[in-house]
Amino acid sequence: MRRVLLAVVSVLFAGACSTPAGSPPPVAGSPVHAQHGPATFPANSGFNGTDVMFLQMMVPHHKQGIEIARLAKERTVRSDVRVLAAAIESTQDAEAGTMAGWLRIWGQPPTADPGSHAAHGGMPGTSAEEIEILRKAPEGEFERRLLNMLIAHQDDAVQLARMETSGGANTQTRELARRIDTSRSAQIKEMLGYLR
Amino acid sequence: MQRRTRWVLAAAVAIAAPLLVQAGSSPASAHGTLSDPPSRVYVCMKEDPEVPKSAACKAAVAAGGTQAFYDWNEVSLLDAGGRHREIIPDGKLCSAGREKYRGLDLARADWPAKQISSGPLTVTYHATAPHSGSNFEYYITREGWNPTMPLRWSDLVLIQKFTNVNPTQFTSWTLTIPPRSGRHLIYSIWQRVQYSEEAFYTCSDVDFGGSNPTPTPTASPSPTASPSPTASPSPSPTVRPTNSPTASPSGTWQAGKAYKTGDRVTYNGLIYECRQAHTAYPGWEPPNVPALWLRV
Repeated sequence: MRRVLLAVVSVLFAGACSTPAGSPPPVAGSPVHAQHGPATFPANSGFNGTDVMFLQMMVPHHKQGIEIARLAKERTVRSDVRVLAAAIESTQDAEAGTMAGWLRIWGQPPTADPGSHAAHGGMPGTSAEEIEILRKAPEGEFERRLLNMLIAHQDDAVQLARMETSGGANTQTRELARRIDTSRSAQIKEMLGYLR
Repeated sequence: MQRRTRWVLAAAVAIAAPLLVQAGSSPASAHGTLSDPPSRVYVCMKEDPEVPKSAACKAAVAAGGTQAFYDWNEVSLLDAGGRHREIIPDGKLCSAGREKYRGLDLARADWPAKQISSGPLTVTYHATAPHSGSNFEYYITREGWNPTMPLRWSDLVLIQKFTNVNPTQFTSWTLTIPPRSGRHLIYSIWQRVQYSEEAFYTCSDVDFGGSNPTPTPTASPSPTASPSPTASPSPSPTVRPTNSPTASPSGTWQAGKAYKTGDRVTYNGLIYECRQAHTAYPGWEPPNVPALWLRV
């Protein structure tokens, strides 16, 4: 518990742009040149605590999404659902790499404590037990449960993205959040269609 | 254990929150819902989302899955900032307009309801991550509201507003409940003011005894007025652009279209080849998703 508390506090301090030992101090307002983002973006702007917290929450959240989406390969689902799940897996994998890269460039910790959901800062994460229940779901229920879990998961992602678009300062990160908001909202719509 | 860890974290964030003053703009999530009279999400969480007992909770799980009830304390919008009526559409007040929580919007007359009467009523809010400097608003549905109709903002009557509250894990208030008959909803909004724009929404079913008015038949939309579906052209998936084996551009990228591996599109004058089958979405424009599109 104490370790967890310290981890969370460290995220919050990271949000305050403290300087981790051994890394250059990030200066708010100064350009940070990202090497991982799409080349079409303008030069990066500075970043604030919301940007850092968003990325630290989103990387593990993406990875959980990948874990859920991968279950579609192991079990029987209609082909449209399989295609969607595979696209979720590869796009989120690429985005997670981009986001982790930005945190590295900014000299910020990737997550507070990868083993404890600390990076969620209290936001929901689909727990390992819940994913396990899905994995073991009977054949007739699996697809519906998978879609419901993915809808819930992407709905949380939309919330995190809106936190960033309303409070973040970094241009690239805000733009990524905007695209996460629109693409996940569209995914949810598509998945709701499969449940009808 | 997992669940418990999350609560501990929430508490840790709460303790650490004042530090955020230095950060200027960092949010930290709070959590909670009305536990008495229990909100719909609280009721179904207590019943057990895997094996719900009441017909209403069974229907809610069937409609939207179990995850909503594991995350019972997060029926929230992180960017609300007081804009509740703008961003939550009528009919979706109990879910805060979030698809994850859509089971809570089911308009049914059999949600488990606490028996209450008009006059003083003590209500309790269960906050797993209470935050100081919050505003709470309590509403009740208008006399004449029908529980089988979608809940609209105009159905809500303000009971009382509490500002600058410093909630604890369980915070109670005594409300003065106006006279009502039949089933009603107590609706609450917890708007955080410091450090975050986040707001939480709750729907608690209550029963005053007696009956609700029967819905007036004139108000219901006539099913005969629906346009005949036979007139519309059937949306055929075959309209997807077929690409010639010569790999010539197959058209401009378009959201909503299903693309398969090898399909080529133009986007902003550049040509991209599809690396992986998918349906295109806004936000998944070819230059933005290198996992799906390769520039050629």
